[in-house]
Amino acid sequence: MSEQQTHKAHRPSQSGAKAEKKSKAKGKEKQHGFNEKAFAPRSGRRAERQGRRKVEKDQTRLHVPLVNRTPDDEPPPVIVAIVGPPGVGKTTLLKSLVRRYTKQTLNHVQGPVTVVGGKKKRITFIECNNDLNSMIDIGKVADLVLLMIDGSYGFEMETFEFLNILQAHGFPKVIGILSHLDLIKKAATLRATKKALKKRFWTEIYQGAKLFYLSGVLNGRYPDTEILNLSRFIGVMKFRPLVFRNTHPYLLADRFEDLTPREEIRASKGKCDRTVTVYGYLRGTNLRLGTKVHIPGVGDLSMKSVTMLGDPCPLPDAESEKRRKLSEKRKLQVHAPMSDVGGVIYDKDAVYINVPGSFTRGNTDVPQGEGEKMVMDLQDVRETLEDGVARSQIKLLGSSSKPLAVDPGPSRSHMDDSDDEDDDESAGESDDGSEDDYGEELDSGAEEEEGDWELEGEEEEDTAHPHDSGRSSLREVRRSMRDLPSDGQRREVEYAESDSDLGGSDVDDDHGLAGPSKRVRFGDEDDVEIASDAEEEMSDGEEAPRWKADLGEKARAAFEQHGRKGKRKDWTKLIYMSSLSPADILRDVSNASSNKDQTMALDDEDFFTVVSSSGPQEEVLDQTKEVLRVEDLKEWEDEEMLDSIRNLFITGGSTETPAEGGSGEEFGDEDSAAASDDEHQAETPADPEAARAAALAAKKEALKRKFDEQYDDPEGSQMGFYEEKKEEIARQLELNRAEFEGIDSEARALIEGYRPGSYVRIELADVPCEMVENFDPSYPIVVGGLLPSEERFGFVQVRIKRHRWYAKTLKTNDPLIFSLGWRRFQTIPIYSLDDHSIRMRMLKYTPEHMHCYATFYGPVALPNTGFCAFNSLSSGAAGFRVSASGVVLDIDRSTKIVKKIKLTGVPYKIFKNTAFVKDMFTSALEVAKFEGANIRTVSGIRGQVKKALAKPDGAFRATFEDKVLMSDIIFLRAWYSIQPRKFYNPVTSLLLSHQEEWQGMRLTGQVRREEGLKTPTNVNSIYKPVERPGRRFNPLKVPKNLQAALPYASKPKIMKAQSRQTYMQKRAVVLEPEEKKAMALLQQMRALRKDQVARRKEKQEERRTVHRQKVAKEEAKKSEKEKERRKEYMRVVGIKSKRESEREEGGRRSKRTKT
Amino acid sequence: MAQAGNVIQFSGHQYLRHRLVLSILSGKAVRIDKIRSDDKNPGLRDYEVSLLRLLERITNGTVIEISVTGTAILLKPGIIAGGSVTHDCPLSRSIGYFLEPVVMLAPFAKKSLHLTLRGITTDDRDLSADLIRTVTLPHLQLFGISEGLELRIKKRGSPPLGGGEVQFLCPIVKQVKTLNFVDSGRIKRIRGISHAVRVNPQFSNRMIEAARSVLNRYIPDIYLYSDVYKGEDSGKSPGYALSILAESTTGAIHCAEATSQPGVPPEDIALLASRALLEEIRRGGCVDRKHQSLALLMMVLGSEDVGRCRMGEPTARTIQFLRDVKDFFGTSFKIAPADPADETSSNLIFSAYGVGYVNANRTIA
Repeated sequence: MSEQQTHKAHRPSQSGAKAEKKSKAKGKEKQHGFNEKAFAPRSGRRAERQGRRKVEKDQTRLHVPLVNRTPDDEPPPVIVAIVGPPGVGKTTLLKSLVRRYTKQTLNHVQGPVTVVGGKKKRITFIECNNDLNSMIDIGKVADLVLLMIDGSYGFEMETFEFLNILQAHGFPKVIGILSHLDLIKKAATLRATKKALKKRFWTEIYQGAKLFYLSGVLNGRYPDTEILNLSRFIGVMKFRPLVFRNTHPYLLADRFEDLTPREEIRASKGKCDRTVTVYGYLRGTNLRLGTKVHIPGVGDLSMKSVTMLGDPCPLPDAESEKRRKLSEKRKLQVHAPMSDVGGVIYDKDAVYINVPGSFTRGNTDVPQGEGEKMVMDLQDVRETLEDGVARSQIKLLGSSSKPLAVDPGPSRSHMDDSDDEDDDESAGESDDGSEDDYGEELDSGAEEEEGDWELEGEEEEDTAHPHDSGRSSLREVRRSMRDLPSDGQRREVEYAESDSDLGGSDVDDDHGLAGPSKRVRFGDEDDVEIASDAEEEMSDGEEAPRWKADLGEKARAAFEQHGRKGKRKDWTKLIYMSSLSPADILRDVSNASSNKDQTMALDDEDFFTVVSSSGPQEEVLDQTKEVLRVEDLKEWEDEEMLDSIRNLFITGGSTETPAEGGSGEEFGDEDSAAASDDEHQAETPADPEAARAAALAAKKEALKRKFDEQYDDPEGSQMGFYEEKKEEIARQLELNRAEFEGIDSEARALIEGYRPGSYVRIELADVPCEMVENFDPSYPIVVGGLLPSEERFGFVQVRIKRHRWYAKTLKTNDPLIFSLGWRRFQTIPIYSLDDHSIRMRMLKYTPEHMHCYATFYGPVALPNTGFCAFNSLSSGAAGFRVSASGVVLDIDRSTKIVKKIKLTGVPYKIFKNTAFVKDMFTSALEVAKFEGANIRTVSGIRGQVKKALAKPDGAFRATFEDKVLMSDIIFLRAWYSIQPRKFYNPVTSLLLSHQEEWQGMRLTGQVRREEGLKTPTNVNSIYKPVERPGRRFNPLKVPKNLQAALPYASKPKIMKAQSRQTYMQKRAVVLEPEEKKAMALLQQMRALRKDQVARRKEKQEERRTVHRQKVAKEEAKKSEKEKERRKEYMRVVGIKSKRESEREEGGRRSKRTKT
Repeated sequence: MAQAGNVIQFSGHQYLRHRLVLSILSGKAVRIDKIRSDDKNPGLRDYEVSLLRLLERITNGTVIEISVTGTAILLKPGIIAGGSVTHDCPLSRSIGYFLEPVVMLAPFAKKSLHLTLRGITTDDRDLSADLIRTVTLPHLQLFGISEGLELRIKKRGSPPLGGGEVQFLCPIVKQVKTLNFVDSGRIKRIRGISHAVRVNPQFSNRMIEAARSVLNRYIPDIYLYSDVYKGEDSGKSPGYALSILAESTTGAIHCAEATSQPGVPPEDIALLASRALLEEIRRGGCVDRKHQSLALLMMVLGSEDVGRCRMGEPTARTIQFLRDVKDFFGTSFKIAPADPADETSSNLIFSAYGVGYVNANRTIA
């Protein structure tokens, strides 16, 4: 508007000192520029290596393409969480940052603080207190974590706990901040400390993670330059979408109100369930009404209503966008309803008056004056002045950054208060937006009424054409053409714009032209809206309203059009907003299309026969196919009729345009068409040829461009898989954005839900009163949307690993607190391991340094969701509190975990391989169950249960592979299936007056310890010293008679050992000289003979090897031949059998698969 | 526990199947009362009970409570388990009645489904096994459910005695693809199956001849297969039928089917089928009228993106389906005329924002 001034373009000086300097600099740059030779590879091999390295680096750059569901144009504020142990300087940092962005000093910061951080960026700061519950909740929503570490002390347990929580829930970006560095006096120590901390930090996050250093505090803030640097880092931070947050809507509540009627609370002494509203920016995905939400620390709640509100901290608009920097006014924008920002917010639910510095709400220790008390009382006023303020825009205080924002009624969907506060928005845009709102505001009361009336009208009067005037698309603000009535049919004149022109003041009444006709409307507030539109436009002093431009022509066009055809029906409205039965809706269509000139009767319902249905009997059935009736298809006997659909076939003539028209190609087409219906209808009959020619030209142009592109850059046009995927995602996002662009926000919310980035107010029903009574703004309220499947309960199987820093092992059937999805809950897991892929075998304890499975009963989370687990959340717990982490694998309604059970028995009678076993079972029935089961003795003899015996109860006959001993114990190894206990206990920390003192189910031992009870002992379980007497075997005695009968070899040879020396032993042999000689000669001869034999053998062997080789050669040849023969044979047989099988089955199969 | 009070109420026996399907998919319990409460023969029919039994079998943890009179049921859905299931369908309805809801559920099961159904394969109320194989399954392929999707017709069975057997194999998916199908194209080919069991095999050829007499004028690419089952595979009753489908250049499929009626020559049946096909083609759209609700369901279950599909006017079933989808998933469709400029066209563009339904039943690792 007035601020639109043209600036003089910059003209660089062509001569003079400056120009010379510049030209010199140019030359210099060239001189110092990139010297190609310096980086050229020295050898071919090196070049190759460099090339490879480059490609590798390129690949590491790539990440799996993820869809970012957050809209780019108006993203929700980035959540920056400040986390750290107490006393580390979190609040100081928060204040410093807020001061940096808004130039305001907050004295008492509580809850989220939203500021404008840049032209396209808003930031919500939130401080996280030292409670583990808060850390978990913050870790689930924070986009960026400023992790504060006391530099003078080092890392504390909370820091690592928090990092582990982050890891389990997707790991947002983390910037480390070292504070209290001024306490280290010596420079060398400081350097060393920084280095050590940095190293440790890097191992925890990643090599090169950003770590900031903050020196001391000045004026209660950190030094401005350091904060400025930090804010720059925050400003340029890019965020990769996290999978869980990209599939769930969520909201970090920055306001919280109780809406329950006072009287009800009083009557129930404050114990009734409350109705509560939470406010905040939506994040993640679209929030749909009808789904449930979960508030960690409270529970699952159902949304009563969702209302889109005006942005309390809007982004700079188009006007200020032109400037390079943010305007000062924008910089001051801060939204922190829980803190003490100097602003007043006034809406449906509450009055907020925050006087900066002087006092804060709930701060009772500050002495308060009379006036202040009055103001405090004012704050408690609920639901007053609502309607009065609805129309007005008041700025209470000159210094208030926000005017009194008026929240429209619960049925309102959208209220754009941007133009309330700033008039410097661009004219066209703000008009578009505000028309709607003004209309809604003024019409607020009338809407419901009108809706009712509308339905009544439908039923009472005009049943034949109840929807004639329904819209063909959802309501458009600038819809300038409506049908005019004719005498044949009564229909609505939807000449909304002409209201002010024709009737002027009639808001609810109908137009003169319409007479007794009824209206079917979508948005209901047309009239007022447009009227105010006109007023506004006039008062704005712009050119004449657009709708007036060619009124006559439009009227004529409309009239003509009306004569031609029945108005299209608005399917969306008919289906979703009327209570007509499906059959009625369809009947209506057939009327509209077939009986165009039907005169109407008020109660013509009776005269209509249902065309599509046939008889009551068929109608009852739930059937997919419709009944084919010869009469209905009679028309197809007509040649003309048959020819009329020729154009729907590829062989059809090209003279007729195909029915699909151009809308298939571009979606933008139909949007614009819907928006300006009149223009279209005016032009369509005029020149279809021209349009077609234009379309053809456009097509050609596109083809040419494509060709050019490919020709110019053949490599560039071939996209890799990665680029292709990214392109696909971008295309879909573009489609998402464009598809519902033209629709008004209410209908849009119906279709796609509330989009992320919008500021909403969610009304929650049946909230436990403790949440309101024990509300503490320093605990974050996260409202997480649940997917339909997440509302269910079942057995969740997870892969789990005990944390290596957690000191104890985890035991089956000990309660464990999980943080899974949005929820925090205590449940009882059973640990198990996969036993040879045969069974899931229960473990008593989690294994050391290894993953195992855990199964528990609880709310379902999608597979692949990460979680972390705790044994205790209280701050008193010693050591590292994160006890395990893992990922969800499976969801089921039953489990298959087994544990081993060994049944033992003893034989009481043994035959050969058969034995009677007792003490394993107690009845014959039990035995019957186990007939055929494998059993085993301790010594390893395997056997089988055969049949129950009559006599001792539970005894049975069993057979073994060998004879068992009476002393053997017989085992039956069986598997007993166990189910996890159905125990689910949500951590309701926000419902407690001392939030950190939540206590879940305790262990038996804990209870005993606390109650001072002794552990009961089972006598049988007491350990006694084991006495194992050595086993003595009796000597083997063979009866005399038997011994005598035995053959000698088998006879036991029981003899005494020889005690005297034998005859031979006693004598020594001495040889004579001749004898000696003869002996030697004999020996020599024997040696010669031996040698001779050996040589002969060798020779023979030689001959044999030659022979063997010959034989082997022949054998090989033979076998080759044999092989060949076999192969041939098998081939023939194969073909034969194949044919046979084909003949058997193939004929029919091949026929069927052809289609 | 927390599921209590999360029951969606319906009344009337109509649209039972898709309500059950939606309930199982969304996990919300459903209570349907006044089932033929005014009827002479009140309560659930045998085929409806059989359907409930089938659903119970392919799911795990489903609780179905039927009131004493049979006029009210309460379904607390479990998870879709899949696996190998065999089911004998009663002779009052054909296999199509049972297969249609199963087709909607099976892609979201824990294990791929291998379902054997026995009963009547073709009748004049529900989609025949042929149509399911040649039309319904290709519709699923639009949503990325294709690998391993198969329907085998082992035996055919005509009413009244049936005796047919089909095997349905369905893979599981993590998430269905978003559909963007607005160009219906032009019909490029026509295919058909004419089958005859326990009658003169010539009947099937006669039907083909008659159908060709109508359809030959449009395109030459017409193949109508004669499929005659003999002996054991031909079921227990005589019967014949012609099912034809027309496929467009963009892959849109329209289909029609006519089954044998006593005293009507096969030629007339064929003419009926081919004229019904022409009627179907004239209605236009990218999705056949009998498969509107299937396509719309898959669009709703798609990822959180806008899916668009061009269709003819919705049928009554579709309208009720859209309303029920809103109750179960909270999603409604934007329904706009496909070409606002063209008054004669009744085609509509259905666009919806998917709920981002992920197959939670699927096991990883």
